[in-house]
Amino acid sequence: MIKSLIRGWRFSEYLTVAIEVSGSIAAGVGIAALMLYLLGFDPGRGMALLLGGGLTDPDYLLSRATFIMMTGLAFSIPLLAGLFNIGGEGQMYLGGLVSLLTAIYTGNLLLALLAGGIAGFALGLLIASLRVCRGVNEVITAIMLNWTLYYITIYLITNTFYDPLAPHESIKVPPQARFGIMMLGGFKLHVIFPIALILIGLSYYILYHTRLGFEIRASGLSPKAAKYAGLNPKKAMLYSMGLGGFFAGLGGAFNVLGFTYYIDTLLTTMFGMGFDGIGVALMGRNHPIGIVFSSIFFSMLILGGQSMQMELNAPKEVADALSGIIIIALALPQAYRMVISYIRTKRMIG
Amino acid sequence: MNGLIESALDLIFLAFTSMVPLLLGATGEIITEKSGVVNIGIEGIFLLSALTSTIVDYFTGGNILASIAIGVLTGTLIGLLHGLISTYLRGDQIVAGVGVNVFAYGMAVIALVTIWGTFGNSPTVPKIPKIKVGEYVVSPIFILSILIAVGAWYFLYRTGLGLRLRSCGEDPRAAEAMGVKVLRVRLLATVLGASLAGLDGAYLAIDWVGQFTKEISAGRGFIALANVAFSNWNPLTASAGAFIFGFFDALAIHLSIVSLQPALAYLFKIIPYVGTLAVVSVFFKRTRIPSALGKPYIKE
Repeated sequence: MIKSLIRGWRFSEYLTVAIEVSGSIAAGVGIAALMLYLLGFDPGRGMALLLGGGLTDPDYLLSRATFIMMTGLAFSIPLLAGLFNIGGEGQMYLGGLVSLLTAIYTGNLLLALLAGGIAGFALGLLIASLRVCRGVNEVITAIMLNWTLYYITIYLITNTFYDPLAPHESIKVPPQARFGIMMLGGFKLHVIFPIALILIGLSYYILYHTRLGFEIRASGLSPKAAKYAGLNPKKAMLYSMGLGGFFAGLGGAFNVLGFTYYIDTLLTTMFGMGFDGIGVALMGRNHPIGIVFSSIFFSMLILGGQSMQMELNAPKEVADALSGIIIIALALPQAYRMVISYIRTKRMIG
Repeated sequence: MNGLIESALDLIFLAFTSMVPLLLGATGEIITEKSGVVNIGIEGIFLLSALTSTIVDYFTGGNILASIAIGVLTGTLIGLLHGLISTYLRGDQIVAGVGVNVFAYGMAVIALVTIWGTFGNSPTVPKIPKIKVGEYVVSPIFILSILIAVGAWYFLYRTGLGLRLRSCGEDPRAAEAMGVKVLRVRLLATVLGASLAGLDGAYLAIDWVGQFTKEISAGRGFIALANVAFSNWNPLTASAGAFIFGFFDALAIHLSIVSLQPALAYLFKIIPYVGTLAVVSVFFKRTRIPSALGKPYIKE
């Protein structure tokens, strides 16, 4: 763990993680298939739809992955500094709202995107500074802010910024302030996905190749040791939470500026994605590159659940139960290692 | 003047209803966390216990005791799973808790569809009978939750057993050296805490709401977690914390009924969250987290 702090991950570490993750997925898939069987559905066909149904529309799959990729970063970066950012949900709403309003009033895409990110950054910073200055646990602040922003956004959309032609939607983002769709060898793709990949690269660079990133990771491992080494754990807390909020805010901005082009009055297009980000971050083992894969996998499950419901009339929430089991199994890397060493000792004795 | 006192009393009794989940959940979590295990899966336990107690209530035609018992048992079983992962299996407690929450949501809807063929809520079921207090009624679970909080405080801070439990959360190595079986204590504390969360789920379904809906826990598990930190791991302070939130919650409901403007209702709904946050940031004294919280204990 200490070595990886200094020089990033080694190949063998990536390999171990890959084995753990695929083992957990296998466990989850097995239990979910059993569940489908017990519910009276054809498990083979159900699992094929659940795992493959999302692949029929790669553009939608990757766009959906974009949002939870961002909220995944929002959870993962503060966690590296030892903070529990459960506020990705609220940071995402605020980012979406602020970018929508900026787009409506200025018509400038870049400005709107930045405004969304900065709003998220400010919110993250607020949570962290209450922790650093007043000792208020970040979980309290984040939860209270999630619900506050949920209702404020709904209030503003239903009351002030609704579209007179479609009252359950907000005013649309003006066409010049939208992220478009590009063609990639016959496939269409919303541009937000490649942009998000660039941001993943940026976050990897910050975390593993800058002094700030080192400070964040070192403070997370041991605040005391970091302090002795002349680093500043408080600064690490503030910046990591700010960065996390920034990415969640961008997630909201991507959602509004790059995909839906409006916010609906029940926030259905964003609701729950902040919490999904927690699962994405954990499944991606808290690493930007892992998060790319896990966000795509997560959105594959969600879309697959929908197609399974359409085709077989099986509840799409089997996808949730499945990801829950995978995450629980992921909590147990130590157990895998214990089993392996148990078998080894057995062999030596036997 | 009379009207004012009356609405104040209304609010207080409404708060007594909405504070129960935050208090029971927090009390259970305090016991768990004091032993060194963090369980953020209580939101999921609320949901699954609410589900199982509704099912039993529905199919027995109102056998309240059995319904409550099954709700508690559901919590016990999930606590056993989480406790085993957190102790003997040396798993990551946060990850396991998140997994329980995600799984619970999926399971709840699957069960709704399978049993009642609906995607949103169950039919209404018989509720726990209320106790009359003058013109008002309170739930027996409310009284029980206060008693449990006081009992938990006495147990944790005034008995030798409680001291042993706390030592596992502060310095497990020293505790082990003193002859405390750290892993066993942590497992039991997790099971106990989760069982209280299970009682909480039963309360939500068959006392407060009277049916199961997939949004029944509505983030209350997380607010209970916030209450744990707010209370500085003291069940008595947690009662106050739960009351403050419950009171603001009641105020929001009251105002949206009085104002008659549906749009404003969304703004009133932020009162409990902003109010609690304001109270916490102004009056907060620094808390002290159990030193070994969330760290797996590895015996040598």
